[in-house]
Formats: sequence, structure tokens, C-alpha cells
Amino acid sequence: MADTVPILRIEHMTKRYGDKEVLKDASLSINKGELKVLIGPSGGGKSTLLQCINFLIKPDRGRIWLDGTEIIRAKGKALYAYRQKVGMIFQDFNLFDHLTALHNVQIGLVRVKGMQAKAAKERATQELDRVGLKNHMHQYPAELSGGQKQRVSIARALAMDPEIMLLDEPTSALDPELISEVLDAIRTLRSSGMTMIMSTHQIGFAGEVADELIFLEKGSIVETGPPAKILYDAEYPRTRDFCSKITELYANSSS
Amino acid sequence: MTESLIVLYGALPYLLRGSLVTIAVVAGAMMLGLVLGIHLAVGQVYGGRWLRRVIGVYVWFFRGVPLLVLLFLFYFGLCSLLQINLSAFTVSVIVLGLISSAYQSQIFRGAIMSLPQGQLKAARALGMSDGKAIALIILPQTLRLSIPGWSNEYSIVLKDSAVAYALGVMEMMARAHFVASRTYEHLPLYFAAGFLFMILTYLGTKGLRILEEKVRIPGYSA
Amino acid sequence: MGKRLFGILFLCAVVFVIAGGSTCLAKEKVYINGIDANFPPFAYVDKNGNPDGFDVKSVDWIAKKMGFTVKHQPMDWDGIIPSLRAKKIDMVASGMSITDKRKEQVNFTTPYWNIDQVIVAPKACGRTVDQLLSGGNRVGVQRGTTEAKWMKDNLIAKGKNFVLVEYDSAPLAVEDVLNGRIVAAAMDDAPAKDAVRKKAVKIVGGFGMPSEDFGYAIRKEDTELLKMMNEGLKLLMADPYWEELKEKYKP
Repeated sequence: MADTVPILRIEHMTKRYGDKEVLKDASLSINKGELKVLIGPSGGGKSTLLQCINFLIKPDRGRIWLDGTEIIRAKGKALYAYRQKVGMIFQDFNLFDHLTALHNVQIGLVRVKGMQAKAAKERATQELDRVGLKNHMHQYPAELSGGQKQRVSIARALAMDPEIMLLDEPTSALDPELISEVLDAIRTLRSSGMTMIMSTHQIGFAGEVADELIFLEKGSIVETGPPAKILYDAEYPRTRDFCSKITELYANSSS
Repeated sequence: MTESLIVLYGALPYLLRGSLVTIAVVAGAMMLGLVLGIHLAVGQVYGGRWLRRVIGVYVWFFRGVPLLVLLFLFYFGLCSLLQINLSAFTVSVIVLGLISSAYQSQIFRGAIMSLPQGQLKAARALGMSDGKAIALIILPQTLRLSIPGWSNEYSIVLKDSAVAYALGVMEMMARAHFVASRTYEHLPLYFAAGFLFMILTYLGTKGLRILEEKVRIPGYSA
Repeated sequence: MGKRLFGILFLCAVVFVIAGGSTCLAKEKVYINGIDANFPPFAYVDKNGNPDGFDVKSVDWIAKKMGFTVKHQPMDWDGIIPSLRAKKIDMVASGMSITDKRKEQVNFTTPYWNIDQVIVAPKACGRTVDQLLSGGNRVGVQRGTTEAKWMKDNLIAKGKNFVLVEYDSAPLAVEDVLNGRIVAAAMDDAPAKDAVRKKAVKIVGGFGMPSEDFGYAIRKEDTELLKMMNEGLKLLMADPYWEELKEKYKP
């Protein structure tokens, strides 16, 4: 394992808004098939970090390698090609409101990948089937529940054949009874070998599935390690503090 | 009274032909306004500082200067200055279209701003260029949301089109005026012209309401 | 569905603008006569919407005689000289008085009609011109006309106590005389006679303005056209058709 090239590596990622440094010198790397989970208090920089990875937020400083190749001129066609390889799931789903579930998944295939409409439709139907929404594919976002919406958005990202997925608090906007269906979908993804970086407050779920937890606070990565270590035997008091509070709060709501 | 009715009856075909001219002017102006307005709105929301500033001045100009002044400015001033001889009809369409583009851009801008902006992020995350994301994701929703405002703009442009008579465009108002001058039946003729404008307003807004219903996104209430 | 619809709309807009623009590129050379279609009996539109009137028919006759095509373009009187100078039209044969001021901007043909300015009041009105043009009375006149200017310069400026109310056309002023918003209206005698034939008004009399001549206005640089129109006018006025026109339109 030591000499495998990580599928994604970022170094010294920094972002500031005015005087406020929201991301300080963050570095991490992830191997194929791994799931790493960002935890930490709200406003700690988790979302910023994830969005900097696919340049939805332009970092002030920092380098990114995908498959060992550095992403240097992150604009134009190179940027669009890179983003296709990095799928993204948002807290608020961000489905396209004017398109059915099917078209939400199909549009990227046709308009970005240049696929024929028929082939794209087949592929989109497949992806929706995988997240258990084949029967809802002709419905519009406003006609779907939050959990269904998030599953559509997962299908939308998967259809692009990404090499890695970024999940930005995928269950935070959901009613409690809808969380498990989305977590199940992520579990399935994990077992199919998808590489993922995810931020969440579902600490129990994180402990169960993650290869590594990354604790982020005030824009800095404080501590990184296997779940058991971070959750129950963290090195830094701040990590311990956060973990004990959050386990109390969320432990029962995941598994 | 009967005399008025006879005059009116005789003048009706002439007025109705004028309504076709009115429809042509309004349709042309609305379309020009739509195409320009969309670009202005997109520029104003997503453009850089300088572009936004230029568009701001454009909108300010066309909303600020009275229609009649603009008509004369273009018809007599600009046309001779640039040595282009455009017909009164063309100038009316262009001027009404430019003014409408300023107003329409604000309708579209409001609609764009009211959309959840996460959708643009999602489109970018899929690998779409900003242009594609705007054309495929933002505008289809913007235009749906804009129909009520657009319907309002239509009725305003329709009424404004009567001013084109000042350039000699033979639209409804001009024709009513000419017949009244010959027959001295001012009241029934202006009444008839007003009534025809009301019918056109009704047909247009009704048609747009049907369109709005037809393109409504199921389950979406905005 | 949405995409296609807007594609179609966009196409329509483009076609429309191009079509509108090209109509003026592809036309053959015809002379365009700008008329004030609110000036019966010299120029107006008939029941079918075609330009008609003493001046319209005169120019039609001249065009036929001299071998050119003419189109009559109704337009706003206010903008008619700017339109002529901006080459939107080629002549104005529409009861235009020859004045020094206008001569600075355009050329005129030889005069073809002599016209007096009169005051029109309701049929039942018992007052004289002097009484009407006093006591702060409101008197109507068409905007941009010689009589409007003359009344300002020679009556109001010299202390006559009345208020001038300006209208788009003489018939509109007559309408307001009947409505009672103004006590009387000043205009050329020909449209005044036309109004008397159609409405319950009468001509009270002149108000001291010297009589004027009508001529056709032509752009300064169009000397060829001026020559042709002068020649045509000469032929027309010598022809029996001239008397027919006078009989028919009673200017």
C-alpha cells in the first residue's frame, strides 16, 4: 500500500474572506476506495474544504493532484473535465427544479459528456434504479421527499462516472426519518468501492463506515486518525471535547 | 348617433388593419426586448464589475428618457448622423424594443435572484461551463418565473406603441386620428381605438396566462 | 419544450428585425410625399384608408404627367420638416405655408394657393373676433403652424389678453370649441370651411394676419425635383383638372 499513488491529494489549501481565514493550510490525501469523513463544529471549514477541492470556491493557495497529476490551470475545459471526475453531493440537494428526476440525471450526460439522448436515458434510468427511485423518475423535485431528492442527486453525480465523490453534509437538511435511506445509499456506494470524502454530523455512521476521521476546527485540520482513535482516544483535548459532545447527541440516530 | 355608427362601421376595417401594424410593432419590440433583456440580466447578475456598471447605465438611460424623446432621437438624430435610413416602423420597433429590454432585464434579474443559487453550483460541479449552466439551468426557470412580469410589460409596450404614430407609423391610434379629422367623429373613433387596445391587452395577457399554466413545473409553487 | 420555444422566439425576433430593416433597403426609387393627414380638405385619408385630398390628388396628377411614382406618407406635422431634411420623405405637399423661416431650411415651389387665416367659433356664438381674442379667453390653434407663431408674436406679445391653447390638428381644436374648453380656434380658411360643412361651427372672420401662400416644400439640394414640381404645377394649374379639383374639394 505504501507506494500506491493516492487518488486525490491536496496540500496547503488556504482560503480567506477578508480578514477571516476560513481554511488554514489544510492537507490530506485519499487512496482509491477509501472513505474519509470530515467532522468538526459548524463553521469549522468542512464545507469550504470540500468546495475548494473542486474549485466551487477558489482557494487562495494550495495544490491538488488527481491520480498523480497536478491540476494546474483550473479553468475552462481543463476545469470542466476535472469536475466531471469529482462528483459532489450538497446539503440542500441542489436539484434542477425544472427537470424531472430522470432529466436531472440525464442532463449532465447529454450536455457535458455529449452522450446520445437515448443512451443517456438508459444510463440515467440505471442510476436511479440503483438508488431505488426507478418508479419516481418522471417526478419533479418539488414532488419528491428530501431523502428521495438526495438520492436523485447521488444518482446524478454517479452517472458522470466520477473517480471520487465529495459529500457535503448529505443528511443535514433531512427530517430524521429520512436520514437512513440516504445513509443506506452511501453505504452501498462504499461497498461498491467508491472513493469518498464526506462531511457529516452523523458521528455514529462515520465511526461505522469511515477509514479515517478528520477533525476540522476554525479552518485547521486538528487531528486525523482511525475512527476508534479519534472518537474514544483522541490526542487533542479539543477533539475529545467535540467527540464526546457529539456522540451523546447523535449516537442513537444513525445505525 | 346613427351617423357616428355609420362612420365607425366604415372605419372599422381600416382600424383593424392598423391593429395588425400595432401587433407587428409590439411583437417585434417584445422579442427584441426579450433577447436583449435576457443578456442584460445575465450580465448584470453574473458579469464583472465593469459590465454591471455599463448595463446599469444602459438600463438607467432607457428607463429614464421619455419614449417620445427616444423616438425622435433615433429617427431624426441617430439615423441622419449614421447615414442610415431606417423606416419609421423599424425605428419604432427598435426603440420600443430597447426600452423594453431595459425593463425586461429587471424582470429577469429579479427572477434569477429569486432562484436558489445552489443549482448553479450543482451545474458547475457536473462540469458545465457557466454559459451552459445559465442557459440550461438558470434561464429556463427564470423565464417561467418571469411570465407574470412579462405579461405586465406586454400591456405597457402595447399602449406605448400608440406613440409610434408621432413618426407616422400607421398603427391604430394614427388611423383613428386620421378618420376623426376627416369625419369630426372624434369620440366614437377614439373609443373604438381604446376598445381595440383593450382587446389586444386581453388576448395577450390571456395567452401568456395559458402559457404560464402550460410550462408550470409540477409541484412547484412560486 | 422550453428550449425549443425560446429558440423559436429568438429566431422570430431576428427575422423580424432583419425583415423590418431590409424593407427600406430593397425599395425602388419612389418619391415620398409627407402629408399631414389631419388637414382636410388638402390632405386626409379616405374611407378606405387611402390618402386623399386636394394636394394629394394634385401631386398624383403631376407625378403621372412628369412620369414618376409618388407615395403619400401620413405623418406628424411637428416632425414633417425634420423628416424632409432627414430624407425620410422627399417633399411636403400638404397645405404648407411659405414662410421666411421655413425657407431657411427648405425650398418651396411657386405658390399654388392663397390662404387666409380665420377664427372659428360655435354657430350660436354672438361675439366678434375682437371680443373672442380678449378677456383672458382660451383660443385654440394647431401646434407648429404659421398662425400659432403669428398670434404669439403679433397679438399676445403686443398685449392682447387671451391664452393660446395648442393642438395636434385643427379638427381637434374644432372639437374642443364644441366641447366648450376653448371659445374659438384659429386656422386656415380651407379647413375652417371643411369644419363648417361638417360641424355646428361658423367662421367669425379674420384676425388681421396677412394672407399666405401654399407651396410644396422640397429639400434644398433636390433642385431637379424642385424644377420638375414647378413645371408640373404650371401644367396642372393650366389644365381643366385644376378647376375639377377645386370643385371637388372646395378648399
